[in-house]
Amino acid sequence: MLIVTAVTVVKTRSLFAIVALSGVFSLLSALLFITWDAVDVAFTEAAVGAGISTVLMLGTLALTSRAEKESAKSNLFPLFAVVLAGAVMFYGTLDMPEFGSPETPVQTHVGPDYLKRIPDDIHVPNAVTAILASYRGYDTLGETAVVFAAGIGVLMLIGGLRRRRINDDDKNSSDTKDTT
Amino acid sequence: MRHHLILRVITKLLVGTIFLFALYVQFHGDYSPGGGFQAGVIMAVGFILYGIVFSLAKAQKVFPPWLVHKLLAFGVLLYAGTGIYSMLMGYGYLDYTAIDPNHPSHGQHLGILIVELGVGITVTGVMVAIYYAFAARAPILSDEDW
Amino acid sequence: MDFFFSFLCMVLIISGSFFVVIGAFGTYRFPDFWSRLHAASITDSAGVILLLIGMGIYSGLTLITFKLLVIGLFLFITGPTSTHAVANAALVSGLRPPQIANKNSQKD
Repeated sequence: MLIVTAVTVVKTRSLFAIVALSGVFSLLSALLFITWDAVDVAFTEAAVGAGISTVLMLGTLALTSRAEKESAKSNLFPLFAVVLAGAVMFYGTLDMPEFGSPETPVQTHVGPDYLKRIPDDIHVPNAVTAILASYRGYDTLGETAVVFAAGIGVLMLIGGLRRRRINDDDKNSSDTKDTT
Repeated sequence: MRHHLILRVITKLLVGTIFLFALYVQFHGDYSPGGGFQAGVIMAVGFILYGIVFSLAKAQKVFPPWLVHKLLAFGVLLYAGTGIYSMLMGYGYLDYTAIDPNHPSHGQHLGILIVELGVGITVTGVMVAIYYAFAARAPILSDEDW
Repeated sequence: MDFFFSFLCMVLIISGSFFVVIGAFGTYRFPDFWSRLHAASITDSAGVILLLIGMGIYSGLTLITFKLLVIGLFLFITGPTSTHAVANAALVSGLRPPQIANKNSQKD
């Protein structure tokens, strides 16, 4: 179903349908993560992908046109490039150990070591938070800095301090903003 | 005004619940799935819902843009600041034993709490700032476009 | 007594899934916007509530049941509200149900 949704997103022209479909895509990914027992990731994916991302994309749609423009160039060369890159990556993964096997470095080196150390060092039941915030806290600082940079980028481009149309905001909200 | 009565009443009921849930997810990140990122997103959703149903002006009165921009930076500073605090105490960067040298696990708890709070504050600020940036520019739609 | 409970759970979950499937199918097959909106709201109102009650009875009297109850209450409030919001938006934009549109103007 993920593949069907992705292909539909690529081929549809109406931007509104694309936004709704990317919300569906995020929801399906969240379900997939739940079946793989990764609950934290599923929670974040559902909240960010199916929640905020859809809302902000709809807000963007209010600023642009409703349909994707026709592209004059042919799609054959990009398709070939993408298929080639995908085939090379697929060929590379044939060398890796099987999915979920106990021999992978994740299961033998650092993973069980952290799981053993967490009750002694940190006493926190949620291993994901412990690893994210304590053992790998530096990476989480980088992630926070990335989110901060994204916010700064948007503010520099669009200018959050401008508050024009405050006066017609009541008219705005009755016409455009109740498509929740 | 009569059109949106149901939406406004329901939003008034729901926004409080959403904020409570965001705080629950933030501070329960140690015990259940959660943590800073999810909590920040949920808190931002509360503000955005209020801004959509009532007007953007009212949402900006509750959470003014200058406060959003300051909170954006404050979260990252809080996170990096605990690292610098650890360095000032003589330990390595982001070494949580600096917070409570007698009981390392208490230091870890407190350190995790503070950094997740920093993450949550930054994520909330970023989402609300992006929403304000887009909504302040949205033109009035004409109906044949949809 | 035990058998009665599991039978009740089975009936509730099957009927809940039945309503969800009917809602999805109806959203696809109904001819115009307003009937499709009604079919989509069936998924939200009937399907999810029955499923949650079935899952709650299956779990017995534990914390999980309380959480399911809170989720059910939340969905019970927000499901019809979102349907109302979509219908309100459509009405404000000028979409009308078919027989009225035939009387006033062709705007379906």
